[in-house]
Amino acid sequence: MSTMTHRLRRLRQHLLLCSCLLLIAGFSASVHSEDDQGSHRPSDFGLAGFEWSGFARAVAGYLESDGSSFNGYRDNIRVNQQSLLALQPSYHVSDQLSLTGQFVAHSSDDRDSGTEWLYLNYQPSDAWQLRAGKLRMPFFSYSDSIDVGFSYPWITAPVQVYNNYLFSTFHGASASYRRAGLNYALDIEGYYGYFDGDIFAAGSRVDVDAEVKDLRGIVVKLRSHNIGLRLSYHQGENETDLPELQPLQQGLQQAGFNNLANDLDSKGTIRVSQAALSYDGLTSFYKAEWVKTRTEFSLTPEFTGYYFTAGLHIGSWTPHLTYASSSYGRVRSDTALQPVLADPQNPLFPIAAGYYQIFDAIPDGSMDSYTLGLRWDFQFNMAFKAELTWLNETAPRSGFIEPPSSGLFGEDFGNRKAEATLYQLGWEWIF
Amino acid sequence: MRLFLPCLLLLSMPIASTASAEGLKVVANTERNIQLSREQVRNLYMGATLGYGLKPVALPASNRHRSMFNTRVIGLAEARIQSYWAQMRFTGRLRPPTEVADERSLSDYLADHPGAVGYLPASYPLPDHLTVLYQTD
Repeated sequence: MSTMTHRLRRLRQHLLLCSCLLLIAGFSASVHSEDDQGSHRPSDFGLAGFEWSGFARAVAGYLESDGSSFNGYRDNIRVNQQSLLALQPSYHVSDQLSLTGQFVAHSSDDRDSGTEWLYLNYQPSDAWQLRAGKLRMPFFSYSDSIDVGFSYPWITAPVQVYNNYLFSTFHGASASYRRAGLNYALDIEGYYGYFDGDIFAAGSRVDVDAEVKDLRGIVVKLRSHNIGLRLSYHQGENETDLPELQPLQQGLQQAGFNNLANDLDSKGTIRVSQAALSYDGLTSFYKAEWVKTRTEFSLTPEFTGYYFTAGLHIGSWTPHLTYASSSYGRVRSDTALQPVLADPQNPLFPIAAGYYQIFDAIPDGSMDSYTLGLRWDFQFNMAFKAELTWLNETAPRSGFIEPPSSGLFGEDFGNRKAEATLYQLGWEWIF
Repeated sequence: MRLFLPCLLLLSMPIASTASAEGLKVVANTERNIQLSREQVRNLYMGATLGYGLKPVALPASNRHRSMFNTRVIGLAEARIQSYWAQMRFTGRLRPPTEVADERSLSDYLADHPGAVGYLPASYPLPDHLTVLYQTD
C-alpha cells in the first residue's frame, strides 16, 4: 500500500516537474524579447496585473564515507536530493491587494511537490504588510527562502541550523511593519496560525501526521549601515500522535509506570529561539546564527545549533568558509525500569527493553562541520557553486549522519563518532 | 582676452565631464524639501520605508552608473544585491525597485511619476521640477 502511495507521489512529482518545464519553455521566448538587459524583473505576459517569476536549482553531490549517508547523499553521485524547479505567479488586484502562489517541484523523495505557499497580500501603506493563507515559516534567516539557493552563498545551508527545522510552512496570517530612521532600518513581523502535515527531525521526514496548533512568533530585523541583526522567537502546541508508541504506553500504564508512559507522549509546547548577526560589505561578509529548540516532551531533547561564516566578494566570485556545530541536550529517560533490564526473565522485561530502546534511538550527540565553498555569479540571475564540507561527529548520534545498513540499532551506532566529506556542485537560476 | 574665455571653457569641459562621471546625484519628483543621508538612500533602495512616499527607480544591472551607485551608496556588490532581492521576492516580502533602460529613460520616468526617486550622473541636466535629495562626494 505504501509502495503504491509512494509511486503515485513520484508520478505526481514528475508530472508537475514536466508541466513546469513546459510552462517555462513556453514563456521563456517572451521573456527574452522583453528583457534583454540581463535583469530578472518579473515577466508580464499579457494579462493585466498578472506576473510570474520562479527559480530552479540543480545540485549534484557525492559523499565520501564508510557507507554512512548524510542528507540523502551516499558514496555515489546523486543529483536528485536538492534539485528543484519553482514557479511563483502573482496577480495584482490593485496596488494594495495581490494574490501570490508558489509551486515547487522537488526531485527529492523527502519533500512533497506542490503548493509551497498561496496567500493574499494586503499593503495598506508602505509601512504595513498583511498576508493570509499558506505561508512559509520564518524560523531562521534563510528558512523561508531555503529552496531559493540563489539567495545564499552555500549549496547546502549549514545543516546544524537549517536541517533541524520541524516544518517549512503554516496556515495563518502575518503582519509586518517596516520603518527606517536616519541610521537604521527596522522590520518587525508577527504571525499566528497552525501546521498540519509531515514534520522533520534532523533533516529526515518523520512519517507521522503532525499537528501544531496555536503557532505564533515574532521576528525583529534591525539593520544599520553594514550590520544586520535578526532576533526571533516561535512557539506552538504540538498535538501529534505517535500511534506506533501507543501499545508500549498502554503496557507501561497497566504496569503502573504512568510517568514512563507520559515520557512517550509527544504533546506539549515547542519553543524555538534564534539570533543572527551579520556584516555585509562591498568586499567581504560575515554572518553568525544561533538557534535553540526546546520541547516539553522527553522524546525530543533540547537542540542547539550555530554557524559562523566569512567570505569575500571578488568581482563575480564569492569564496567562503563556514564552521557549524550542533548539540543535543540530555535525553531524559526514567531510571525506574533499569533494574529490570538485567533480568530477562522478569515479566516486565519486554516493556523495559522497548522503553529504553526508544530512548537509545533518540539522537543525543553533536556534530561539527567545516565548509569551503565558491560561488560564481556568471550572470545576473545565475550562479554556479562548488562546495566541500567535512562533517565530524564530536559525540556519537548527532542525528545527521546515518550509519550504514547495520540500521538504527546496529552494534556500532551507539558509540561510533562518524565522519564524512561531502562534495557538491550546484547551479542556481532565478527568472 | 576674447579668445581666452572660450579656450578656458573648452579646456574645462572634458575636466568637468570627468569630474561629473565620478559623482552621482539622487533626485526625486517631490514637492517636499527633503535632504537624505547616505544611509537613508541605501535603506530606500533596500526596500525600507522612509515615510516620505518615495518610490526608488534603478538602472539595469549592467549599467555603469548603477555599479557606481552600488559601490558608493549601497555598499554592496551587484551579485549580493541580486541575491538579496531573490530572497525578498521569493519570500513575498519586498519587490525590487522598478528598473528602466538607461539614464534618459530614468529622467523621463522621474519627470512623469510623482514620488519617484532615481540616481543620475552629477552633470546630467535635470528637468526643472526634480529635487536633488543626496549627492555623492
